[in-house]
Amino acid sequence: MTSIAGAPSAVSLKAALRRRHARRGGRSYAVLRWVAAGLFVAILLGLVVSVAIDSSQALAHSGIGFLWSGTWNPAANEYGAGILVVGTVVTTFVAMVIVVPVGLGMAAFLAELAPRWLAGPLSTAIDLLAAVPSIVVGLWALLVLSPLFANYVEPFFKAVPMLEWFFHGPAYGPSILLASVVLAVMTLPTVVALSRTALKGVALQDREAAMALGATHWQVVREVVFPGARSGIAAALTLAVGRALGESIAVAMVIGNSPAVPHSLIAPGATLGSAIVNQFAEAAPGIGTSSVIALAAVLLVLTLAVNAGGQALLRGIRPGRAAKAAT
Amino acid sequence: MIEDGNPPGSDGDDATGPVGHARYSSKRTPASVALEAAARAPARADLETEPAVTLEDLKVSFGDHIAVRNVTLSLPARQVTALVGPSGCGKTTVLRAINRLHDHTGGLVEGTVRLGDIDVYAPDTDPELVRARVGMVFQRPNPFPTMSILENVTSGLRFNGIRNRVMLREAAESALRHAALWDIVKDRLNQTALRLSGGQQQRLCIARALAIEPDVLLMDEPCSALDPVATAKIEDLITNLAAEVTIVLVTHNMFQAARVSDNAAVFLLDDDRVGELVEVGPTVEIFDSPRNERTKQYVTGHVG
Amino acid sequence: MSANSGAVGGAGTGFGLGDGDATWSWAARERRRPIIQGAARRTLGRRRLKGKLVQGLCVLCAAIGIAPLVALVYYTAQRGLAGLSLGFLTNAPVPEGISGGGISTAISGSGEIVGLALVMAIPVGLMAALFLHERRGHLAGAIRFGADLLTGVPSIVIGIFAYALLVRPLHHFSNLAAAFALAVLMLPIMIRADEEAMRTVAVDLWEAGVALGARRSRVARSVVLRGALPGLVTGNLLAISRGVGETAPLLFTVAAPTFAMTLLIYTDGTQPFPSDQQTAWATALVLLLFVLVLSGLARLIAWHLTRRAR
Repeated sequence: MTSIAGAPSAVSLKAALRRRHARRGGRSYAVLRWVAAGLFVAILLGLVVSVAIDSSQALAHSGIGFLWSGTWNPAANEYGAGILVVGTVVTTFVAMVIVVPVGLGMAAFLAELAPRWLAGPLSTAIDLLAAVPSIVVGLWALLVLSPLFANYVEPFFKAVPMLEWFFHGPAYGPSILLASVVLAVMTLPTVVALSRTALKGVALQDREAAMALGATHWQVVREVVFPGARSGIAAALTLAVGRALGESIAVAMVIGNSPAVPHSLIAPGATLGSAIVNQFAEAAPGIGTSSVIALAAVLLVLTLAVNAGGQALLRGIRPGRAAKAAT
Repeated sequence: MIEDGNPPGSDGDDATGPVGHARYSSKRTPASVALEAAARAPARADLETEPAVTLEDLKVSFGDHIAVRNVTLSLPARQVTALVGPSGCGKTTVLRAINRLHDHTGGLVEGTVRLGDIDVYAPDTDPELVRARVGMVFQRPNPFPTMSILENVTSGLRFNGIRNRVMLREAAESALRHAALWDIVKDRLNQTALRLSGGQQQRLCIARALAIEPDVLLMDEPCSALDPVATAKIEDLITNLAAEVTIVLVTHNMFQAARVSDNAAVFLLDDDRVGELVEVGPTVEIFDSPRNERTKQYVTGHVG
Repeated sequence: MSANSGAVGGAGTGFGLGDGDATWSWAARERRRPIIQGAARRTLGRRRLKGKLVQGLCVLCAAIGIAPLVALVYYTAQRGLAGLSLGFLTNAPVPEGISGGGISTAISGSGEIVGLALVMAIPVGLMAALFLHERRGHLAGAIRFGADLLTGVPSIVIGIFAYALLVRPLHHFSNLAAAFALAVLMLPIMIRADEEAMRTVAVDLWEAGVALGARRSRVARSVVLRGALPGLVTGNLLAISRGVGETAPLLFTVAAPTFAMTLLIYTDGTQPFPSDQQTAWATALVLLLFVLVLSGLARLIAWHLTRRAR
């Protein structure tokens, strides 16, 4: 765009004006971009700081033992997150027990077995399940699943002789089991979608090499495809755990809100998320509210740690897919 | 791949001297290379009268597109037969029809393929059993990434139900020795296979294929992803292995075919752009005195 | 088969393999071959059977996996339709005991909250994505990592943050606080989706632009934006559908349940009265339809986009 020295033509003048305009426009754009980035960082930091500050009152009151103390009794002014952490871990664990086989089985079906006319729509359907709002899942679980569980499912499990240690006590419906099932339904799409991608990502040549040695289809899948998809599946499961840990409203509707040591899967319980939902409104201002916020802080740390791990695993595969997957 | 007719690299060791750099003045042709190779090769004992693999009127199509047709070919036992021709003429398609790999790619195979006296595509023939008698080596070295070296070599045996540890060990050692890899890996059998060089990985894949004691070894351009030194070693290997295993080698490199094979089958595109078998015969004849005009054009470099 | 494997030419003995006793000799191989073939034949039946069993299990898992979606849609539609009517959508809520009420305030309230949230989130998300797109280096990487982290923060924690920032200091609930919470929720999703959309477009355009002599001017940037538009729309639509369905952040920020659909579902659904539950179902149906349409739209655009690219 350099004009020949000494001959200002109309063209070069226009070009110079455009350049100046662009530069000025560029500068205001640059400012906006920096502002946006700064705003984002401020929000991120603000979140952490705010939650930390608001929890400090509770921690001052209950000491560091708050983290593992087993009593949550607002009436007696005793607050401890321990029982809730246990509840969170138990519900997530049982949810994973359900989701891992079903999710991987379904992913294997979609990746290896399903004919093309079925695999596409079915995958889309599972992705749509991810879009269903958690409140709708919670409503359905509360009004449809809960009576079903109370009348059929829970008595069924109670009747199985070997499972007595897990299933005993009155079967009302709202229970740790029901909450775990809800979590399973909500994390299934993540596991299926990511695992399916991981399975399909195994190189065709590796499969063919196994086939050429005389392996059956199942042998190829077991010995070559699944091991090859290991890291993708690990990422999927970790992200699913992260989501399960943080789910609050749907769990709150079906878990029974009973912060006591769960002695049976059919008994009601409480998780960090459900406690925050159920206790916030009635919390005594000051220490009560601060304690509930402290629960949020514990939840935040927990989910951040797990999600960071999951993201790292995903990054090992393909950067950029990580954020899409977490939504 | 240096296609100037000079044998790629020196014998045996990992020499790093200038390899295959042209002695441009020497006018080497595939024919001269073939003659030289034949002169060097030891006399073979009486040939088996029964060919290892027979193809009769083979035709492979993918949907509406015909890849290759009218292929009638006998592959003599314990010899190296090269399938040569430019890219896209159906050589690999024919190769993969032998061990029924087209079952999974959607290709329709018509005609007859016989492995010894077994009709490969008969309705009551189990494809897995066919593949257990035929070994295959692919274009890019592809050891299973999640298995150790030992697990890689024994994978074929384990797939087919062999559990006996002693037998697995013996078979692995045998296969690795035959692939000229035993001394290199014998102390690190439990390590991952990915640390090996490209040429070593390919030899590992050859060992993996050999471990199931196949009757026929199919090789699909096994050196195309390798440097000249590694290529030379594998070409040596092929020559040595041919004494006991029938080898079918797909290559688009005429000089490699001339160096290594006993017989050659030339594939070219016909007027409908469908691959066809133009001529087949002993390598020396194909390159030095071909009968078909199109073969002559191809081997003297006028085509493809 | 061959009789004298050891005697065939010099080639066969190149490995010193003529010795018939070694486990790697040709003779040993001849002995092994039938064993291997026999084992292959014998075990084939069992191997195939195992495969069939696992196949059946996988089909079962797929059926179990799709069942919740089917059940959800079925029950929501069945129970929600009964309470759904034009009046339901257009009338305001009425006190207990009087019939003819509706959720119009909830719909408009949700719309207002989400709208406000979008006004806050979309520009910031776009600008931040542009920032990430045009800068390399540690700061950009840190922000990207922060966005990934923020996507994993539970929505209830974000709700508490909004409470602490905008509700408590001002001493009253507000739609603005709720909108802020949703914006914080949607922002990281939008940032990453926007950046991804730009990245796929930018490479080709950058190279073409540079080849033609263009500089990093406004012109080049707007070209990238225009090219990335479908991807941007898709990403933002998905973020919106996520934000619309959230309840937890609204718990601590919205003044009354009748101002937001998701909150209404929560409060009415947990009541023991059938009429309230009916309202909850109908509202849930409206919400579900809206979210599914939004997701479907986003997917359609994405599919159209990939088709065009091909």
